[in-house]
Amino acid sequence: MPRAAGGVVVTLFAALAFTPLAGLLHRALVAPAPPPGHAQAIVVLGAGVDRGVLTEASLRRALGGIALFRRGLAPLLVMLGPDDPGQRTEADIRVELAVDLGVPPAAVLSEARGRTTREEARLSWQALSARGARRILLVTGGQHMPRAAALFRRAGFDVVPAPVEELPAGATRPQGRLELARGLLRELVARAYNRAAGYL
Amino acid sequence: METAFILVVVALTSALALAIARRQPHRRLAAAAGRALEAVGFIALFLLSNVAVGFALALALRATTGSFVSLYVNDDVSLLVLSVLQALVWQSWREPEDPAQPRG
Repeated sequence: MPRAAGGVVVTLFAALAFTPLAGLLHRALVAPAPPPGHAQAIVVLGAGVDRGVLTEASLRRALGGIALFRRGLAPLLVMLGPDDPGQRTEADIRVELAVDLGVPPAAVLSEARGRTTREEARLSWQALSARGARRILLVTGGQHMPRAAALFRRAGFDVVPAPVEELPAGATRPQGRLELARGLLRELVARAYNRAAGYL
Repeated sequence: METAFILVVVALTSALALAIARRQPHRRLAAAAGRALEAVGFIALFLLSNVAVGFALALALRATTGSFVSLYVNDDVSLLVLSVLQALVWQSWREPEDPAQPRG
């Protein structure tokens, strides 16, 4: 039994690292988004902070949201991302970055209480529905987008997906392909959990 | 290019290891490969068990203590490294000890 499992693992590893299989699976599970249109707000989902330093994914998403704002696609930018105990919140660090990059302080909101995508959807709805903002540009990673968009639609939003590519779908290096496969597996588990819990 | 480069490097070091190993008589490559596959299987089983237990523990902590533990913590690469160590110890422990070997 362990020997057979080992054979399966080695075969899977070779296929995912040394063939384009991971990219093909990514393209099958992550639909390409059309160019983003106008909306009433841009909502940037959290992706992690460690001791006051944004993770690479968090920075990519924040910059993606700021770029959409600078293109004039929405008048309001909402930065999400929870606290790191004893440190500044991810949302506040991103707001500061946005202001540094030319977003007017009055046009950017910080919401740092959401710890899961579902909580982020609920809290965003509380903050934005009061302002009459229902149509949003949702900024997150391409792999995370299908689940995030479904949760935000369920919260009441009219969602326009604006995915940020955090991993190259056409990765040619084995490490890049394995990271792509790892992200897909993580997201499939997250979708299964959300479905089992009745969130999707 | 990177893929081919990595495979060539591994092929070269494998050929060198094979040349060294063949100097020792009564060693079979097929048996060694089988044991390696078994070790990989144990690693996979320990990793799956660790992720499943981690998932359940995070949900239990959320429900019982009210503190928030992210499920993404189970995605940490250190869990893979620790699973490798668990599997190697497990496999060595299961193998019969050679009574001729001195005990350290």
